[in-house]
Amino acid sequence: MSSDLLVVGLSRMAYGETLALQRTLAEARIDGRVTNDMLLLVEHPPVVTLGRSFEKKNLRTPPEELAARGIELFEIERGGDVTFHGPGQLVGYPIYDLNEHKPDLHLFLRQIEECLIRTLGESGVAGRRREGLTGVWVEDRKIASIGIHVKKWITWHGFALNVLTDLSFFHLIVPCGIDEVVMTSMQRELAEQAPHDLWARALDGVMLAFCEVFDQTPQAVTVEDIQYRISNIEY
Amino acid sequence: MATKVVMEALSPTMEEGQVTKWLKGEGDKVASGDTLAEVETDKAVMELVARGDGVLRKIVVPEGTTVEVGSLVAVIGAEDEDISSFAVDTAVPPAVESSDGGAADVAALPTGAPPVPVSGDSDRVKATPVARRMASERSIDLAAVRGSGPGGRVVKRDVEGAVATPPAAAITGPAGFEDVPLTQIRKTIARRLAESTGPVPHFFLTTEIDMERVVEARTALNALDEGPRVSYNDIVLKVIAAALVEHRACNAWWQGDHIRYFNEVHLGVAVAVKDGLITPVLRNAHLKTLRQIAVEVRDLAGRAREKKLQPHEYTGSTFTVSNLGMLDIDQFTGVINPPEAGLLAVGSIVEKPAVEDGQVVVRKRMRVTMSCDHRVIDGAVGARYLQTVRRMLENPLAIVW
Repeated sequence: MSSDLLVVGLSRMAYGETLALQRTLAEARIDGRVTNDMLLLVEHPPVVTLGRSFEKKNLRTPPEELAARGIELFEIERGGDVTFHGPGQLVGYPIYDLNEHKPDLHLFLRQIEECLIRTLGESGVAGRRREGLTGVWVEDRKIASIGIHVKKWITWHGFALNVLTDLSFFHLIVPCGIDEVVMTSMQRELAEQAPHDLWARALDGVMLAFCEVFDQTPQAVTVEDIQYRISNIEY
Repeated sequence: MATKVVMEALSPTMEEGQVTKWLKGEGDKVASGDTLAEVETDKAVMELVARGDGVLRKIVVPEGTTVEVGSLVAVIGAEDEDISSFAVDTAVPPAVESSDGGAADVAALPTGAPPVPVSGDSDRVKATPVARRMASERSIDLAAVRGSGPGGRVVKRDVEGAVATPPAAAITGPAGFEDVPLTQIRKTIARRLAESTGPVPHFFLTTEIDMERVVEARTALNALDEGPRVSYNDIVLKVIAAALVEHRACNAWWQGDHIRYFNEVHLGVAVAVKDGLITPVLRNAHLKTLRQIAVEVRDLAGRAREKKLQPHEYTGSTFTVSNLGMLDIDQFTGVINPPEAGLLAVGSIVEKPAVEDGQVVVRKRMRVTMSCDHRVIDGAVGARYLQTVRRMLENPLAIVW
């Protein structure tokens, strides 16, 4: 049965602000004030985040140096190790109730990978999975990272797809804790074939892929719309 | 009666999970629905929720330890209950009914933080209802609009004027540009779903410019006989860049869910090459002298024809200029180079009759046509930009004004 997916375009938003918003929306989804799945799409200013399986050696750069370079640092509740978000990277936070799909976390991770592989395919980039290494790869180069959190089968956190990302930032860390991993972006893979509107295409592609994979219909809403819905039922 | 806390199966393919963090400690009171610990499998973290009330008596599996699905990880019991029989029992059958329990516990959860109220600043500004509605639709901060109505009241035309400059609520990006979110991402969806490759919604504005003084200025400059000869195209590029600095609304990219307004002008200069067209980029054109432009454009065009441009030399432009004047085209319309919002098509300078002070005189005239992406540039905004271009070309000193 097809349901509505509320797509929230946040444009550029600081990591901390988006994190607070995600937690608010996930709570609202858990207690039923929001009854639709949501997909937040956002671009973050430079930030390094440490997931639950973070190992200290994988943060190559001391926190003070990150701060001096204007890069924020967050320790958060998602799965996975250390990662970087920054301009040109399309970050998506699916807040889904897996009870309404399939309560299977591994399947959900594979479905997110499927969405990203389809998005890449639309622009002519051959994304693929690698056994045991969640994320999306182009040959052996990593183009998208995934890390989620689930409570009562409600998901938050999500994926980061390198569209036009300045990849030099990844030298600050050992991405995902995998030594020697080479990061790539759609722009790098396409080189001269990269269309001018790559960002808009990736944005559209991700939204459509989620709708296809989860059999949903997109509904564009603003943050204010959702906050209004939440408050409307609450008071 | 004590309750076992076991490693739950979060996926049929999950065989083991790692307890990454205990959120409750031994001796803590817990209620059904409380999050006890976080469990990680693959790249997903799941909260392990209490299925009974009491005290967390025993943590069997320490943080960082991976155990099989179904293994006992902790015991919840009454404060004085004897749990010695559980502490050693690690071979408990898997908890398969986990999802049901989760759904039933919903009410026990604290509600999220109250929603942030919409800023009330705009309410204190005097404005007509129409102006207020328009401002709200276009995400314009009324406090930032100068009111021209009675008593400084903000009226409709003030809000319309404010569209030309990005609203105050804009999100600031790194130095070179500013991203302004759209009020509705719906536009993107409509574009993509209605027609898979929707064309840029163009409209066109044409104006005819008197070039007598540009011709004089160029003749005088070249009479100096110093370095590169200046072409009409160089002067036109210089003016287009200078005018874009004054009209940032036309120096922008359509980004699907937002508009990116640039503070810097990177001009794409269309160059015909043997098997097509390439658009090298004159970077920071607004900062360059006419002489620099003359040198750089010749270099770029020359290497474009030899196909020796590097990718960074033909990407990243913020506005494009296409000049077919040298091919005797009087007037034409160019196709916008997405995601840019505008393009100026420049025709040739021709002598033709013009009316001046009621007399028909022969003047050197040039027609330019601007193509605009209507999602970014409104008609009047484009027209005002062309007015500036025209004013500068009809009085070239205005460039240095």
